[in-house]
Parts: sequence; structure tokens; C-alpha cells
Amino acid sequence: MSKVIEVKDLCKTYVVNKKQNNVLKNVNFSIEEGEMVAIMGPSGSGKSTLLYTVSGMDKMTSGEVTFNEKKLSKLNDDQMAEVRLDEMGFIFQQMYMMKNLSILDNIILPAVKSKKNTESRKDTEIRGRKMMKKLGIEDTADNDINEVSGGQLQRACICRSMINNPKVIFADEPTGALNRTSSDEVMNELVGLNNEGTTVMLVTHDVKVAAKCMRTIYIVDGNIQGEYDFGTRATSEDIRMRERSLSNWLMEMGW
Amino acid sequence: MFLRILKKDLTRKKTMNIILLIFVILSAMFASSSINNMISVYGGIDYFCDKAGMSDYVVISRNSDGMNPSDDIIKNAGSITEYRKEDTIYYASNNLLKNGETYCEFENAGIITCIDNVKLNYFNRDNEVITEVQEGHVYVGGLLADPDKTTIGDRITIKYDDVELEVVIDGYIKDALFGSPFLQNARILMNAADYDKLACEDDIQYSNGGAIYYIFTDDLKALKGDMSSLPNALFAKEKSVLRMTYMLDMLTAGLLLVVSICLILIAFTMLSFTIKFTLTEDFREIGVMKAVGLKNKQIRGLYMVKYLFISLIGAVIGYFASIPFGKLLLASVSDTMVLGNDDQVFIGIISSLAVVFIILAFCYSCTRSIKKLSPIDAVRNGETGERHHRRSSLRLSKSPFESNFFLALNDVVSKPRQYVSMVITFTVCILLIAMLANAANTLTSDNLIFLFGTTESDVYYNSTEKIMEIMGCGDENRVDEMIDEIEETLKENNMPGEAHIELMYLLPVEFGDTRMQVQMQQCKTTKTTDYVYNEGVAPLYENEIAFTPQIMEQLGASIGDKVIMEVNGERREFIITATFISFNQLGECGRVHQDLPLKSNELASAFGFQIDFDDHPDAEEIDNRIEKLKTIFDTTKIYNTAEFVDTSTSSSSTITMAKNMVIIIALIIAALITVLMERSFISNEVNEIALMKAIGFKNRSITAQHTLRFVVVVIISGILAGLLVLPFTKLVCDRIFGVMGAISGIVYDIHPLEIFLIYPLILMCGVIIAAYLTSLLTRTIHPDSMGNIE
Repeated sequence: MSKVIEVKDLCKTYVVNKKQNNVLKNVNFSIEEGEMVAIMGPSGSGKSTLLYTVSGMDKMTSGEVTFNEKKLSKLNDDQMAEVRLDEMGFIFQQMYMMKNLSILDNIILPAVKSKKNTESRKDTEIRGRKMMKKLGIEDTADNDINEVSGGQLQRACICRSMINNPKVIFADEPTGALNRTSSDEVMNELVGLNNEGTTVMLVTHDVKVAAKCMRTIYIVDGNIQGEYDFGTRATSEDIRMRERSLSNWLMEMGW
Repeated sequence: MFLRILKKDLTRKKTMNIILLIFVILSAMFASSSINNMISVYGGIDYFCDKAGMSDYVVISRNSDGMNPSDDIIKNAGSITEYRKEDTIYYASNNLLKNGETYCEFENAGIITCIDNVKLNYFNRDNEVITEVQEGHVYVGGLLADPDKTTIGDRITIKYDDVELEVVIDGYIKDALFGSPFLQNARILMNAADYDKLACEDDIQYSNGGAIYYIFTDDLKALKGDMSSLPNALFAKEKSVLRMTYMLDMLTAGLLLVVSICLILIAFTMLSFTIKFTLTEDFREIGVMKAVGLKNKQIRGLYMVKYLFISLIGAVIGYFASIPFGKLLLASVSDTMVLGNDDQVFIGIISSLAVVFIILAFCYSCTRSIKKLSPIDAVRNGETGERHHRRSSLRLSKSPFESNFFLALNDVVSKPRQYVSMVITFTVCILLIAMLANAANTLTSDNLIFLFGTTESDVYYNSTEKIMEIMGCGDENRVDEMIDEIEETLKENNMPGEAHIELMYLLPVEFGDTRMQVQMQQCKTTKTTDYVYNEGVAPLYENEIAFTPQIMEQLGASIGDKVIMEVNGERREFIITATFISFNQLGECGRVHQDLPLKSNELASAFGFQIDFDDHPDAEEIDNRIEKLKTIFDTTKIYNTAEFVDTSTSSSSTITMAKNMVIIIALIIAALITVLMERSFISNEVNEIALMKAIGFKNRSITAQHTLRFVVVVIISGILAGLLVLPFTKLVCDRIFGVMGAISGIVYDIHPLEIFLIYPLILMCGVIIAAYLTSLLTRTIHPDSMGNIE
């Protein structure tokens, strides 16, 4: 497997009220293609900042992130936008969508915007509907975003993130605003996508979510404290055991 | 605690609060300056006339044999309570020279007045009464008070045959009698010593002397009867007619009123939108406040205090800003008039306070929605989940539009109420511009020639000198001789044609117990049947006559009635056979049969000579011949039909100026509103913008989407304005033309390209630039803001 993300000496510093706040300090790690990696850590440890910096949504202060053989620091805003549109997918905790568009239109919007997408709008629509059907939300296609449940909306966000067949999906606490049932449904979809070959990097506080990933990176005060690598994909049989062992490791790390 | 919440609110929602403050400032500024201007303009002419000391009735007459024959009649008229006589000397444009050349061209006779003998107050541009003019210096007014015609500081020569007087123009005067361009007269105000140098010359007194009588009366009807048989009167009208001559200034002022009202309405519409918008934005805070137990009244009180605070600050700033702004607006109409009101400060303060009151009323009304918001709104993003109607029926999947345009169109269709105020504003702006353009184009087209009581000719040749010669010579045949001379000249220059001239006589007319002087038109070489009438049939016999509806109304007569008219000292009976519409004398005139013998001593004025070429050349050839005739007759005052209409109304330039002013104001308003609305949208859509960036939208896509929304709004406004422009033009301009005398029958000259494309495009360009520049602010929103949004 090749490395789809390689992070070297990544630093991110904010200056607030003339005070320097080093959020990420020389972070180094890599993610192989097809991996599903969870980022965990206490609040304020820099998890989300790491996700946003690695995905190019936020600018790094120093270091380098290589994404799919592209050095992100070398890309200008437009090139970065193209990478995000065509090669990355995003899922956010708050399930943000465009208020004035229907669920289906929200899902196919990135495909319509992509220059690499040569299919007709009709074909894109059919693909969007298929994707929705796969995630069990086909009935909500023409609904407004406030007419569906949180779980349905987050699954719609997953559809949107997948519409351009990205290399990597970045998810920032994708189950953070969902109840347990919805959370399980959403995670199952993400695991399913990962099983089909999509790389996933997600930030979570939830051990149950992290246990479904192949590897967990634990970050404290902007430094990677350790990694826990299951080495295999989760199955329904070993999930309990993975949760327990991950919890134990996290406790050892000071969780 | 309330104060702390308020303080936090004011600092945390800085952008929206600043936008609100700007709207309050604009509202207070527009309201204060506009109401002051309305009062100034509404009573403007009366104010000016009062300040000038204008009388109830004015007679302008010329001397005959060095004497003024009006003197005795005026002295003995029982209806006069008081009169003042201002001696004058008349001059034509060829009497004013600079370096031996005619200084400037003008159509009607000018008037020289001595500062020591003035019976009116004349004002300088600073609205101060002129009491003194230095020897060798003059002030100029009326037509000459125009920087395009004259320049302050110019040294000019007033020349009558061998008498020459060199003077320097010291400044412009605001002249209540000749201030309006409608009268087309020019006044020179000079020192007594200089005046005497001219007045003591018998030749000048004999052929150019005259007087203006300012007459006061308690019984205008009786006075009009007494004045109906004044000999040698060039003009004899009551104050109300003089007021009418300011119609064009009032037109600009009236437009100013319309603009002012629009500004107030726009400001309040935007204010209402902004208040509602900011309240919608606050659903979460309101929900949280309710969740922690605050009562509706307390929450409402919090908002009322906030808006009171903002509106008070805005009103104070707006009041002070209104002073220069009001002056700026009035400047366009105060060049010829003394406008103003004495309660400016008081009205300004009251207007600003009214804005505060209205804002609080708005706020009170808008905060009613607080009752509807519940704690659940704090967790449901303000959506109740109970909405069943679609935001928009547009679907990206089915739309043929490019994605940026689709998103822009979808935004407008989804939240039409957000855009209604902009649509209204832009539509009104386009309508105002288009209406003025239609009026200006109509006034420079040949559509209106029939309104001057003339037939359409190839060429119109205005010559004040020739007209003054006709009126001053007392020779009945001089007109025919002049016509022959012109025709001979045409023939010599290989452009044979016929010439004729419309002559105007002031004749006393009686119907029942109403007696008045009416300006009657006659042309010896055309037929009364050649003219346009709106009712009845043309006078076919010598004893038949036609009047305008305004004269018919004043006389109380109808078609078929018989009136008595004094012709050459003889009382004769005439049958009214028709009515016609006319701009002449503001619609107060009549027409007599071509065969009716009238004497030149009753001649009051004349139009220019009209020329019809025998070979009926096309428009291009006519223009070529006009250029040749200008050289032949050594004058610039030779026109084609459209130019003649334009020169005669002398209003197209005023209306064009008003149109240009409205274009500028409309652009400023549109740009201002665009900037503020776009700023509001950006502030409201931070999360959507961040989301778009996060999923790969480029900055230019987002700025394009935001800019295109405004393009959609302008297109909708353009379509609406296109549908409304004709009825709106008729509604407004029919009244304007009605005031000028043409109460019906106007065919508007509409230039489709200009009206339906160019002006909407100008507005669109302004809006696009403003929207694009403001939308660049979206660049400051980063995709990682997604993680920071609550």
C-alpha cells in the first residue's frame, strides 16, 4: 500500500492577543491508502486543527503535508480548492448543508462543480440517488435539510463527501451530534466505505467509534503521544474486544 | 445584567450593529434633508416671490414715440391699490459684444435695469439682496445667469449704434421675474451712472425704452379687465402665471421630492429588513434567554434598549450629515431661485427624532416574533421543523444553468422576502431614470411641434433683432418685406422655398362679464386648417376663432359660443369653432383666421421664420442647408424641427440634468444598498461560505454566486421597470406637460435601447461593482471556520 498522507514536522501556531499558542508541535505520521485512522485526544489537544491542517482547510505554520503525492504547502488557494473538491471528502459534526438546496442537490453539488466530472447532470442525479439508496435515505432526496433527522442528514453528508470518489474522507467528530443508534448507522457506513477502499481520517472522542478504525493516533498538547494499531479491520465479532483493548491503551496514555 | 448583555451584544455582533447604525444614519439623513427640502420646494416659489417683493400682476411694456402709453391706464385703473414702475431699456443679443463679436446668442429681448430704480429685490448666488453695483460693472440675470453662456469677470460692450458702454460682469442675479428659463429673457443690472449714459440717448429711449409695472390689487378679475386693452404691452400676467413659469425649476424640485420620498421609503424598507434580519439572526440567543427563564417582555425590553441606543447615535450623526446633503440636493434647483425655510434646524431635529420613533415602532412590531421563538429554537437552528412549503421549486439536478448562476437564482427564489426591498428599490431607480429620459427625449423630438401652434417646416430661423424691428417700426408691410427678403436670399443660394412667420397679438376678449387679454396667434401665409385641433373644426372664416381649453375655462365659454374681441379698436363678434392644445403662454392663447386684419401696434411677439423648401429635401440635406443658412444669415439660431422644439421648451436640458442627477443618486443608493445587503448576507452565511470552501468551491465561485444574486435582482427589477415604464411615464409626465400647457395628446418619444437596455445596464454595472467588491470579503472566511461555528 502507498502512503496517501504523509505529515512531516507539522507545526501550527495561533497568535492570540500577541501570545503565541503552539497548537501542533512537530507532528509526524502517515496514512496508507485504504486505512481508517482515528485521531483522539483530550479537548483542546489539537485534534481538529490537525485534521483541518492535514486536509489543507487550514494553513500550516511550518512542516509539510504530502497528500496523494502533492505537497499542500506548494498549492495556491485555487489548486487547494480543486484538491478538496476532487480528492477529498468532508464530514462535519454539525452536518452543515446549503439551506436553500434539497438533500439531493446538496449531495450532487460537488459533482456539478467538479471539472473532472464529465457525466451529464441527469447521470449525476442518478448516481446521487443510488448513493442515497445505498445509505438508506433515498426517500429524503427532495426534502429540505430541516425535514430530516440528524442521522439521515449525516448520512446525506457522507453521500456528499463520496460523490466525487475522493481518495480520503476527513471526518470531524461525525457522530458527535448523533444518538447512539444514528451514530452506529453512520459509523457502519463509514466502515463500509473504508472496506471498499476509501481512506478515512476521523477525529473522535468516542472509543466505540475509534475501535472501528484500523489505527488510533493519540494527541496531547499538539504532540502525538502514541499510536494504537489494530493491524486489521474491525469485524462484528471482535469489536467488543477492540473497544476494551483501545480503552485500556487510552487509559495508559492518560485519557 | 441587562447592560452587560447589551454591551456584549453591541461588541460581539459588531458587523450587524454597524450595518444597522449605517441604515439609521441614512434614514435620519434622508428624512431630515428631504423633509426640509420638501418644505423649501413646496413653498419655494411663494418664498422666492415674497423675498423678492413680487406684485400681484406684472406688465412689461415698450415705449412708443419715447413715451409709455400704458402709464395713463395704469394710473387711472380703479382696481389697482398700488403700483411700482421700473424703467428699462431693451436690447437684443447683437447689442452685447465682446471683442467686436456677439457675446452670446439668445432668443428674446433682454432688459437693462438701473440698481437705483429697482422695484424688486434681486439676489446674488449667496441669496443676499444686491443693493449696489459699481460703475463699469454689471450683474446679469435670467438667461445670462448661465455659466455656459457667460463668465463672471468677462468685459463686454453694450452697443446701440454709436453708443458704446464697456462693463465687467460682476456676478449672477436671482431674478424673480425673469428667473425661469421659460420666459427666455435676460436682465442686466447696472449702476445709475452707466444706465443714464444709455437712457439719455433719445434714439435708445425712442426705440428701446420701456417699463415694467409691478401692480398690486385686491380684485384680480377687475384688474385683468382694466388691463385688457393696454397698448404696447409685451407681457401682462398675474403672479400665478409667473409662478407657472418656474414650472421647470419646480420640475427639478419636484423630482427632488420624488427622489427624497424614495430615499425615505428605501431607507425605512431597508431598516425594517435589517431589524427583522438581525432578530432572525438572534433566534439562538432568544431561545437560550427563554430557556434560562427570561420573560418575553424582558427580552423585548433588551432589544428595545439596544435599538434605542443605536437609533439615538444614528439620528444624531444623520442629522448633522443631513445639513450638507440637503444643500447638495437643493443646489441643483437653487441657482435661479432663493429657496429655503426658516425652521430648518427645528425640522431637522424633529425629523431625526421621528426616525428614532419609527425605528422603535419597527422594533416593537418586529420583536413580536420573539413570542413565537421557543427554547427549542436554540437547539434547532431556528427551524421549527413544522414548515411544509418548499423553499424553492428549482432543482440543481434538473436545472440547465451553470452551478454558480443556479445557486444565485435559487437563493433569490428561496428567500424572496429578503430580496423584495432590493427589487423595489432598483425598480424605482430604473423607473425614475427612464421616465426622465422619456420626457427629455420627447422634448427633443419633433413629436411636439404641433404644441407650439405652428405647422411643421423644414427650417426654423429665430431672430430677435428682426422681431424687435417688426414690433418697433410701426410699418404694416415690414413683415411681408422681410419674408420676401428671406425668400429672395434662399433663391439666390439655390435653395428656393417659402417663408412664413407666426405673429402673436395681445387682444382684449370678452365673454359675458369676463374680460381678459389673450395672446392670439396668426400666420398670414398658412391656413387655420393646417393646424392641429383637439376638438371642433378649424376657424374657416374671418369671424371664427379657436382657443386653448385653459382660455375656454377662464372665459367660461364652449365651442359655438360667441366672444367679443377688440380688433384695431373695433369690437367684433367671433364664434369659437375649436380648441387646441399649446405650450405657448403656458397654454393660454388662441388662433384667429389668416384673413383677419391685425395691426402691428398690437403685436406682442412672434415666433421665428419658418422655411419650407420647394424641393422637399431629406433630413440630411435639410441639416446641410441649415449649416449654409447659418453662414448666410450670420446666426446660430437656425434649427430643424427637433432642435426648434428643444430650444423653444428650453426644458430638455433641465430634465436631462435632472435625469443625470437621478442616475447618480440612483447609482449611489443602489451601490449603498448592495454593499449593506451583501455585508448582511455574508455575515449571515459564514457557515455556508465556509462549507462551500471546505467542499472545494474556489473563492471566485463564491464571489460569482454572491454577485450573481444581485444581477438576478437587477434583471427582475429591469423586467418590472420595463413593464411599468410606459404607464409610469404617462402618469408623471402627462402632469408635467399639462402644467406646461399641453393637457393631452402627447406622444412620447421612447428610445427602446436607451430605456430598456442602457439605463438598466448602467444600474446593473453599479450594482455588480458594489456587490463584487463587497463579496471579496468572503475571501476572509476560511474553510476551517466550519469547526468554529456553534
